[in-house]
Amino acid sequence: MTEQNDWLSRLTEAWYSGPMLSIGLTLAAFIAAQWLFARFRRPLWMPPVLIAAVMLAVIVWISGMGFQQYEQGARWLTVLLGPATVALGVPLYQQMHHIRALWRPILFTLPVAATLAAGYALGIAWLMGASPLVLASLAPKSVTAPIAIGIANELGGSVSLTLGGLLITGVLASLFVEWLTRWLKITDERIIGFTLGLNGHAIATARAFEISPMAGAFSSLGMGLTGVFTALFLPLAFMLVS
Amino acid sequence: MVRLWGLLVLVAFFLLGEAIRVIAQLPVSGGVIGMVLVTLKLMIRGDVSESLASASQALISVLVLLITPGVVGVFFIADQFAGQWLTVVVALVFGTLLSVLTTLWMMKTVAGTEEQEAEHD
Repeated sequence: MTEQNDWLSRLTEAWYSGPMLSIGLTLAAFIAAQWLFARFRRPLWMPPVLIAAVMLAVIVWISGMGFQQYEQGARWLTVLLGPATVALGVPLYQQMHHIRALWRPILFTLPVAATLAAGYALGIAWLMGASPLVLASLAPKSVTAPIAIGIANELGGSVSLTLGGLLITGVLASLFVEWLTRWLKITDERIIGFTLGLNGHAIATARAFEISPMAGAFSSLGMGLTGVFTALFLPLAFMLVS
Repeated sequence: MVRLWGLLVLVAFFLLGEAIRVIAQLPVSGGVIGMVLVTLKLMIRGDVSESLASASQALISVLVLLITPGVVGVFFIADQFAGQWLTVVVALVFGTLLSVLTTLWMMKTVAGTEEQEAEHD
């Protein structure tokens, strides 16, 4: 019995010492999620990223691996988000003629929509009596993670609450864009892509690239512009209000 | 080998973006600055090299894979919401619903009138 425990603890020690277990689990969950998603006729309310994340959360929790252990290994994948963000500049360039054709609506919509993306949630939270810490953490919910962390720090929010808020926002934005475009009968992929990126940052941009390269390029544009706009104006607006 | 050159270009632009972020003390991430720089560089150059196109295509195709570990974290931060989780959830759900609706409506209205004007011209 002790011998068996010894063997098991040496195995977990070996597996936990490197990032390969986390990488393997993430890859497996990702592939399984793609398969399940296609199998269940592409349900809108359950995008592949959510299927994979739920599976991973259950495995990490039940196996006793713990999120910290998992995250440490998975960091080998997430560091690639840096160059992947830079890579978004390529489709952005390739679709530039479409963007040029639509520059006026984009410039007109951006400041209003980016302000409201933060404003609605803040207004609701404030009406419900949220603490200043929660308000400051929710404010940057629609921008990409690295920008959001910077803003949350500047406003005095909790970084982990901000990250949670923006991850949930990204998933929700992908879902709501699907539903509302059907309801409003919007088929223009430029508008769909731009709305995805503006409201749901990298998570919704990943979704936009599943629709088409053009939707992806407009989503990258919406994400980039919202990030820059919010980073510049939100700390200022927050200072004026509070 | 071709793709590796493209990957090197992306990493170099990321590092350059980080350098600008630190030196100019911008609150924007190095990745986003790098994205803007790559777009500008390609606009000046006028075309995309095959290596850069294929490297960025490869990275973008696994974008969902790269953000998955972060999404897993949502299920482990519930205690951070400390008694205010209902407020947070309601604010996120309805705030996002309203802002998506606003963006779609604005883009549809403005782009729609512009297309009509273009037809008149």
